[in-house]
Amino acid sequence: MTSIRKLTALTRAGVIESLQFRLGTAVTLFANLIYLALVYFLWKAIYDSSGVDAVNGMTFYDTMIYLILATAIFNLLEMFIVWDMSRAIQSGEIIMHLLKPMRYRLYTFWSYSGSHVISFFLTFLPTFIVVAIITKGAIPMGWNLLYFMISLILALIVNYNIEMLVAPICLYTESTWGINIVKETIVLLLSGASIPLAFFPEGFRRVVEYLPFRAVYDIPLTVLLGKNGTDTLQGLLPRLGVQLFWCIVLMILGNLFWNVAVKRITVNGG
Amino acid sequence: MANEAVVMKNVSKQFKVLNRHEGLKGSIQDLFSRDYKIVNAVSDVSLTVEKGEIIGYLGPNGAGKSTTIKMMTGVLEPSSGEILVDGRVPYKDRTANSEHIGVVFGQRSQLWWNLPLIESFNLLRDIYLVPEKDYQDMLSLYRSLVDIEPILHKPVRQMSLGQRTLSDILAAFLHNPGIVFLDEPTIGLDVSMKARIRELIKGLNEVKQTTVILTTHDMGDVDALCRRIIIIDEGRKIYDNDIEHLKNYFGSYRTLRMRLGDDSWVEQVIDEKKTDVMHAIKEMQKEHKVKDIQLQEISTEEVIRKIYEGSESA
Repeated sequence: MTSIRKLTALTRAGVIESLQFRLGTAVTLFANLIYLALVYFLWKAIYDSSGVDAVNGMTFYDTMIYLILATAIFNLLEMFIVWDMSRAIQSGEIIMHLLKPMRYRLYTFWSYSGSHVISFFLTFLPTFIVVAIITKGAIPMGWNLLYFMISLILALIVNYNIEMLVAPICLYTESTWGINIVKETIVLLLSGASIPLAFFPEGFRRVVEYLPFRAVYDIPLTVLLGKNGTDTLQGLLPRLGVQLFWCIVLMILGNLFWNVAVKRITVNGG
Repeated sequence: MANEAVVMKNVSKQFKVLNRHEGLKGSIQDLFSRDYKIVNAVSDVSLTVEKGEIIGYLGPNGAGKSTTIKMMTGVLEPSSGEILVDGRVPYKDRTANSEHIGVVFGQRSQLWWNLPLIESFNLLRDIYLVPEKDYQDMLSLYRSLVDIEPILHKPVRQMSLGQRTLSDILAAFLHNPGIVFLDEPTIGLDVSMKARIRELIKGLNEVKQTTVILTTHDMGDVDALCRRIIIIDEGRKIYDNDIEHLKNYFGSYRTLRMRLGDDSWVEQVIDEKKTDVMHAIKEMQKEHKVKDIQLQEISTEEVIRKIYEGSESA
């Protein structure tokens, strides 16, 4: 039923809206520089003290490239759904969203899409280009870029569904900050955003492999860097399959939870 | 096609509210409390709204007006009873219902805060799938009713409250819905803006035959727009008829002012069910000299106040 026209209109509005905050992009880039300086010295110390060139198959150089790109993806994927939803619920604004002629979850996703497009071009792409130039060939330039785009979009959907699975909890607890910080920490740690999964102890890594979080950072980054056999279809397809699997599972779970949670608004007035 | 825009049959809505206790000890108790009380926000309300009508939906604060409106829009489920809006059960298919209604909740905005108004309109055109021609026609209708040019390219966050309300009303009518719900649209506006907004609502209702359900505390809105009003108090419907009947229904009151021999004015409220004006003058003339009289019709506002106050004491 939903026409493409509705969706692209929301993306377009999001793009225009994001462009109003040009300064925000500059601040993000500046904050990234500070964060990356910290990451640089931290990992330099780790590698220096280990006394070997490669830890768990990753050189210092590999690790830095990985973490810089992870930061760029973080900026791209960052959403404030938990905050936005809880604010909308507390102020009652949410009924205006519920009264749009689109399903709420779909409407929300496409409302955010414009800001993703903007941060792709204004933060991710510049970071990627700078890293690619500085490292001179450490990032392969071929089909992997296309595969990465597919993987990135799947990562975005998985990430959105994690957010939408967590956000309605604020209907029950009224503690937005706590929920958000727990979600943030779990996602960043278990997805490989702050520490590459290769550094995790063997047993722990096995567990993490079966969780949805790696579909957000670890898989797209591995695909982009062409590591672990993702330069072949046999290596690539299972990983995209894992992402697709989590997209569908989380979407179904999120839908079920939302349908229950929204009753708190429609039955008890929020 | 049926001729009713809204049909409500014996609709009730109950809320479960936690009984809060006082003080620190009470707050801690509340953490574990299962002590709920049931609040009846709306009890057994039945009403019918014909297509093309403008209905004034009145009641004191907390009477259940907004709850009723929310049930009609589908964001609240009734606890019992039936609602049909344009032949649809609103809460069962909220999304489909949303395509055919327009909503303005005073002080809330459905517009995109950071976008110029015209971009919000364009976006609404697309998500409501309004054909381009209808959209342009609607915009030219708007131009003929109000001066929208100065605000069309202004971001909503820079607008005054009046401009924003005006914009929100225009946005609610943009997809030419059959029914528009206006919940206190003139709240906080100055007199001239109120007048413009009333004219706009009236104009849109006349041209587009849109059914309008209006809640307000401003009797000026009611006098300007509504032929029929429904009053609810404490969740119950207490009046549902024409405005003209209203004044007779609760006794036909008029205020009689008389200037006496010593040039002082005395005031007397005449309930025409009990007595009449001429009789009152005669009575007065028995004791005083009456030099001049003035007769004032009671305003809608005063009647409504009598009703609200009357039901409180009842």
